[in-house]
Amino acid sequence: MKAAAFAYERPTDLNTALALIAKADGTTKIIAGGQSLGPMLNLRLVEPDTIIDISGLAELKRAERDGDELVIGACVTHGDVEDGRIPDVTRGAMQRVASAIAYRAVRNRGTIGGSLSHADPAADWVSSLSGLGARITLRSAAGVRNLPIENFITGALESALQPGEIVEAVRVPVMTPSAHWGYVKACRKIGEFAHAIAAVLIDPERATARVVLGALETAPIVLSDASALFGGRVTGDFKQHFDARVADAILIKAGVANAVDRHIHVAVLRRAINEAAA
Amino acid sequence: MIGLTVNTRPVKASVEPRTHLADFLRDNLNLTGTHLGCEHGVCGACTLLLDDMPARSCITYAVACDGARVTTIEGLDNDEIATELRAAFTREHALQCGYCTPGMLIAARDIVLRLPTSDEHSVRVGMSGNLCRCTGYVGIVRAVRTVIDQRRERGITPIPGGGRQALGPAGSGNATNPVVSETTARAAAKTETPDQISVAMAIPNFTPAKVFEDQFTVAFPPAKVFDMLGDVAQVAACLPGTSLIGTPTPERVEGMIRVKLGPISANFRGAARIERVPEDLTGRIVGMGSDQRSRSSTQGEIRYRLVPIEQGAATRVELSIGYSLKGMLAQIARDGLVRDLAARLTADFARNLDRHLSGVPVDGAADGSQDLNGVSLLIGLLRRRVQETIRRIWGR
Ligand SMILES: Cc1cc2nc3c(=O)[nH]c(=O)nc-3n(C[C@H](O)[C@H](O)[C@H](O)COP(=O)(O)OP(=O)(O)OC[C@H]3O[C@@H](n4cnc5c(N)ncnc54)[C@H](O)[C@@H]3O)c2cc1C
Ligand code: FES
Ligand code: FES
Repeated sequence: MKAAAFAYERPTDLNTALALIAKADGTTKIIAGGQSLGPMLNLRLVEPDTIIDISGLAELKRAERDGDELVIGACVTHGDVEDGRIPDVTRGAMQRVASAIAYRAVRNRGTIGGSLSHADPAADWVSSLSGLGARITLRSAAGVRNLPIENFITGALESALQPGEIVEAVRVPVMTPSAHWGYVKACRKIGEFAHAIAAVLIDPERATARVVLGALETAPIVLSDASALFGGRVTGDFKQHFDARVADAILIKAGVANAVDRHIHVAVLRRAINEAAA
Repeated sequence: MIGLTVNTRPVKASVEPRTHLADFLRDNLNLTGTHLGCEHGVCGACTLLLDDMPARSCITYAVACDGARVTTIEGLDNDEIATELRAAFTREHALQCGYCTPGMLIAARDIVLRLPTSDEHSVRVGMSGNLCRCTGYVGIVRAVRTVIDQRRERGITPIPGGGRQALGPAGSGNATNPVVSETTARAAAKTETPDQISVAMAIPNFTPAKVFEDQFTVAFPPAKVFDMLGDVAQVAACLPGTSLIGTPTPERVEGMIRVKLGPISANFRGAARIERVPEDLTGRIVGMGSDQRSRSSTQGEIRYRLVPIEQGAATRVELSIGYSLKGMLAQIARDGLVRDLAARLTADFARNLDRHLSGVPVDGAADGSQDLNGVSLLIGLLRRRVQETIRRIWGR
């Protein structure tokens, strides 16, 4: 249970890090909190020649408002969000998500950027940030690009991250005062990866509903206009209009063949909708 | 060379990058109070304080903590909360063998510090990252609750966030000097010696731990598809990442398949037995293989059935895929991730089969040069399928 030997590099500024990553080959890995990579290294499922530690980069450890978005550096931890060390633009939604990720000792090191880069379909930020309509900022020595989270996660442990790129930040839109949020995950044991996740962001005043069905076998299903789940129109009594058959049909079409799995996903969605309505 | 403050004492040491903090403390500093259980972050035995925050020392490398403050259970002898907790653990019979106890005390100290009240649910949630395999949790939970109650009664208020101000991983960012490795210090290239699989090895029947179904259609008649599935070399050519070893017979094949699961790439080498029933157009492939790198082994079974569709002009291939996975990979490869992988393999296979039957060359499959890559076409296909579905449901 010991990692195979690797060389270690710890740049102290982002540009140096990007230069190192730019010339890195397939046997180089970035490490942030190490809470996903560490287990894989110890189990020797991954044996990189070189590891570049980005956890010391001040540029990635800040959070600030930029217009209608909160820009959260990639190396901000789940614990930072849980403890309110960064500004809250989601009326507590991110804080509640963060506090239910893994365990305290893992949250104190695991980062938001690491979680998204790892792209585990069952990870909490993957679904919740898609639900919040967040974007991800990717930077390489050549430049920077922004993508909606749902375009970043392309499959199980697969993302749109290109060689030479790092996740620099996550941009979370300020939640409107009239928006309702619900986030529920099904776990058999606290802190384990979820078997089903639902995130809903419903704004009856604007008649909009955004729904994410996550912890599938692959990338989450993101419905940016989920009005069909509520009879075609999003109103204040959306909870009463929720149509589980539509949700079931969506899951079937997405390839969730097992009826029990679908039942769990629909039940979790219903709970998230109830939470949003409460 | 790294510098740490361990239990208030400055320590300087040169340490291999792969050494995790727990090993460093135990082996170099003889601080054996930090225990190791799972060594992959799950059990909590190795929990200690890093810059005063609880952290897993088994998945935190010592080099990454350069400049940090480390407090192990040995450093909490005179700590007020830890002293109260030790007394409560003794009183409530919160330990037997004591293996989990150092980690338990560190986790407990953190929630005593932070939780406003001692309600049982919050305490259980707060302690859920620490496993005890012999005492049970009743006494532990009771001990923690009493300490919280007593302190709140004494007017000691909780400290939200444990008092931390800095952002980022606990223990990070204390060192200001960059570390740049010399090329000579780079890890020596790892050589892989191939597994020795005996040709005579019998492939036993087995009961798969997991079974799932899949299907695809090909625009050719069942008889033609069945013939093609009988040609082992052709089948292998349609499976990306596969290469055959030796010459296959219609009943038996040996080979390798390289699969990629996120950052993990595994090279399974093994053998399979093939059974076919031409009368009902069904077949079965039972195989076993192992990946040396991840010290993992798998047994798998694929049953197929060909069903004529479109008046026999096309075929629906119904698959039942069963597998059991053992070893390190099984720790990471959850059911869902394996299914996603199998779905990708199946879709690539279906596409290649279709091409093959149409006489279009199958691109670089059999030489093993092309890994089964997750960002392959299929994900594109799947996503498109989902989007189309959603559009259909939404009537747009
Ligand atoms: C016991 C346990 C339980 C857990 N339970 C949950 C859970 O319930 N829900 C959940 O969501 N997560 C869970 N996790 C995972 C945890 O949230 C991790 O912290 C997170 O997935 C990875 O973050 P990290 O900073 O530790 O990344 P690392 O482990 O350092 O890196 C992960 C991957 O991302 C890459 N990477 C990291 N940062 C960047 C970057 N900025 N740019 C580009 N690539 C990068 C690395 O190269 C690596 O491939 C659990 C972990 C453990 C150990
Ligand atoms: S040994 Fe670190 S969590 Fe199990
Ligand atoms: S006291 Fe023995 S494992 Fe907890």
